[in-house]
Amino acid sequence: MNAHTVMDYKKLVSVAKNVDEKFNAFNAINENLSGGRPISVKDNICVSGLECTASSRVLRGYIPPFDATVVEKLKNKGFSVLGKTNMDEFGFGSFGLNTEKQTKNPFNPEYCAGGSSAGSAIATASIKDHISIAESTGGSISAPAAFCGVVGFTPTYGTVSRFGLIDYANSLDKIGVMSRTSRDIREVFGIIRGGDERDTTSTDREVKDEPKRAVTVVDNLLDLVDGEVKEHFQDLLGKLMNAGFKVNHTKIEGIEYAVPVYYIISMAEASTNLAKYQGFKYGKGAVDYGTDYNTFFKRARASFGAEAKRRIILGTFIRSASVKSRYYEKALRIRANLIKKLKVALKSGYLLSPTMPIKTPRIDEIERLSPAKIYAMDVLTVLPNLAGLPHMSFPYAYPEDMPIGAQIVGDHFDDYSVMSFVDEWEKSFKYKFKYSMG
Amino acid sequence: MKIGLEVHVALPTKTKLFCSDSTSYSDEPNTNICPVCMGFPGSKPVLNKETLILSANIATALHCRVIERTSFVRKVYFYPDLPKGYQITQTEGAIGNGGSVAISGKEVRIRRVQIEEDPAKVVRGENYTLLDFNRSGIPLNEIVTEPDICSESELKEFLVELRSILYYQGIDIDREIKTDLNISLAEERVEVKNITGVDSLLKAARYEILRQGSLLEENQPVKRETRAFDEKSGVTVSSREKETEEEYGFIFDTDLTFYDTKWIEVKKPVIPRLVAEKYSKKYGYDEEKLREAIYLNRDNMDMLAYVDDGAAIEKVVNLMQKLRSKPTKEVIRRLLNSDINNLSREQLERWVRGEFDEPEPVNMDEVRREVAELLRSDPSLSKRYKENKNTVNFIIGKVKKKHNVSYNDIVGIVDSILSDNQV
Repeated sequence: MNAHTVMDYKKLVSVAKNVDEKFNAFNAINENLSGGRPISVKDNICVSGLECTASSRVLRGYIPPFDATVVEKLKNKGFSVLGKTNMDEFGFGSFGLNTEKQTKNPFNPEYCAGGSSAGSAIATASIKDHISIAESTGGSISAPAAFCGVVGFTPTYGTVSRFGLIDYANSLDKIGVMSRTSRDIREVFGIIRGGDERDTTSTDREVKDEPKRAVTVVDNLLDLVDGEVKEHFQDLLGKLMNAGFKVNHTKIEGIEYAVPVYYIISMAEASTNLAKYQGFKYGKGAVDYGTDYNTFFKRARASFGAEAKRRIILGTFIRSASVKSRYYEKALRIRANLIKKLKVALKSGYLLSPTMPIKTPRIDEIERLSPAKIYAMDVLTVLPNLAGLPHMSFPYAYPEDMPIGAQIVGDHFDDYSVMSFVDEWEKSFKYKFKYSMG
Repeated sequence: MKIGLEVHVALPTKTKLFCSDSTSYSDEPNTNICPVCMGFPGSKPVLNKETLILSANIATALHCRVIERTSFVRKVYFYPDLPKGYQITQTEGAIGNGGSVAISGKEVRIRRVQIEEDPAKVVRGENYTLLDFNRSGIPLNEIVTEPDICSESELKEFLVELRSILYYQGIDIDREIKTDLNISLAEERVEVKNITGVDSLLKAARYEILRQGSLLEENQPVKRETRAFDEKSGVTVSSREKETEEEYGFIFDTDLTFYDTKWIEVKKPVIPRLVAEKYSKKYGYDEEKLREAIYLNRDNMDMLAYVDDGAAIEKVVNLMQKLRSKPTKEVIRRLLNSDINNLSREQLERWVRGEFDEPEPVNMDEVRREVAELLRSDPSLSKRYKENKNTVNFIIGKVKKKHNVSYNDIVGIVDSILSDNQV
């Protein structure tokens, strides 16, 4: 290693610090970074020896003794972890605000970065050639990628091992990638994908690259989109038609259930995943062993944020014997039904929609909204997430100098086909970034 | 009276249910642990498939249907011994469903056999509590009965039968068995949770029978509640008053999947009660004595199968009760050929140690008689023997149990019988 590279790493660490100061992108920065290709990792993914909090006070002080499988694979291919990126606590949020250090959009710090993988999107949008490992449960990669103007890829459920991921909702959680080009995503996905004996739900199944020449727009989904966003999206469809794409239109019955179904299932699972945070073995609660168990336990769990508490309470209610069949079990059936319908629609090509139903909102606007209104913003991202379908958000317009994103969805195991679509898009469209530090 | 049980037994695996830590429970506390059985964030459970094989066999021995695709749920409750805040267990997707165990004159129905993980061990001191996570994640079977047990004696008998069945499935029955006891003399069900060992279970049941009985006699209501058994004082105490079912908020564990069970080759189970019944019918021998000898003793069971012989059975059963360790085949042969009543205990023990004063006597006349009988009963044998001398191995197999004979001995005898017959 020569002096020049050592200098570069120091500079990179200071760049990361700078990005963090401006937009609150990181929960931890690896100051000892001294080799390898830098990559950032969302703070709900374990990196051996680095504190991992998922932005929760309850996890403060948790230093995992192991690497997540994705991290292990990346390290083996010469990557090294620059830092752990900020996020909504445990992934609970779509705007990057449910964290002690609220995140800000690099295009304008008064605007939301999107969530929950907010820090990954900010780092990618601000640092030259940056790649970040993110995670999506219901849209946590697409949303921040769209608001921060980067490319965000969420793979087919099971193609990337979840070992080492701090669970939000196990049947929905997917580790994915953000970067500034589809090409980088293809490379990193090629490294991290594959079955893992430490994650039972992972699979070695082959991933296809069969680009399609048609996109389908779900019209009744588009009806839920804000007028201005819709206009820009129509322009995108026009461009695609000019490029030789066939644009189909369809309607899918029952999509209005997608958001409630997503929240019912994810909260039910989340409320069990959060049961382990009792302050015994790690975290803030482990201070006073002199109290009785209930007191100790209450103190430890008081440190959850408001949204985490809301989801524990709602999730516990949803699982309770008296209402389980009315909510949880019904949601599972609707989920299975929606997956069937989406797969039928995917037979004639990709599905395409705006990523978010609104333009990037101001932080103070979101803070005024009720939780139900905030949840409704996930209407476009929850569908592919509920179905475990591979999808990618990519920037396609910059009204008033802020990026907006569209979301392309493929059938299961069509991950490379989805990337091929964005590869082609990038040939005719140049992304804009406000910063390219480093 | 209605009694139902939830019996928890540890499966004899080398490694834990969802990780590769050792199941050895006598090791230094908190040494057989890893991120999975400690519930560290980011870790994921991976099923030990051997538990499927063992559980499918246990379920079959309890006459349960083995489900084709088995699955796991999370049972959420908060207790210091539960590192994840939920226990991975089974409900509808349980490996075994709808079985039974026979006791005198009736069957106790088995609702379910489910696979689940053991929580950590709690060690309570005067003003402290210690946790040993070596036990966290040890694979268990929970055997849930219907409330079919109607008396203290039926309870005792059921436990004897269940333990003997589990013994022959390789369960270490000397290891603590933990039981939840549901018992109601009237309408309301009382649950006594987490009773350790069979003796305590019987004591707890007797205490509840007396307690509930006297309440009823005084026309006082028996409350629906959960109680705990205090081993020292031998009484049950109310732990929390609950009017409703406990709320565990079960949901499917999506870190795991559905597991196919069709590939599992289930062995024909040994049901000691049926074995004792069979031998007692066959030889008119006392069934109770046979049970005592074989219920929890695999060596005796092997001996019984080995000597399958009406004349010897009394000798063998008596010997089973005298001997501590399993005798070799030679010892059994010598015993069967000697006058047991005149055999000294010292000589018997020498034999068991492998010390023989004289070579094993072989009664060649007896052997010749048995071989001749075999040849007579199956005329094809002599024909086959003339074509292939190895046929003699079949004959050896038949007589070797009782007589220490060699290949050449038998060939000589067969040749001489055949030539005698020709003359």
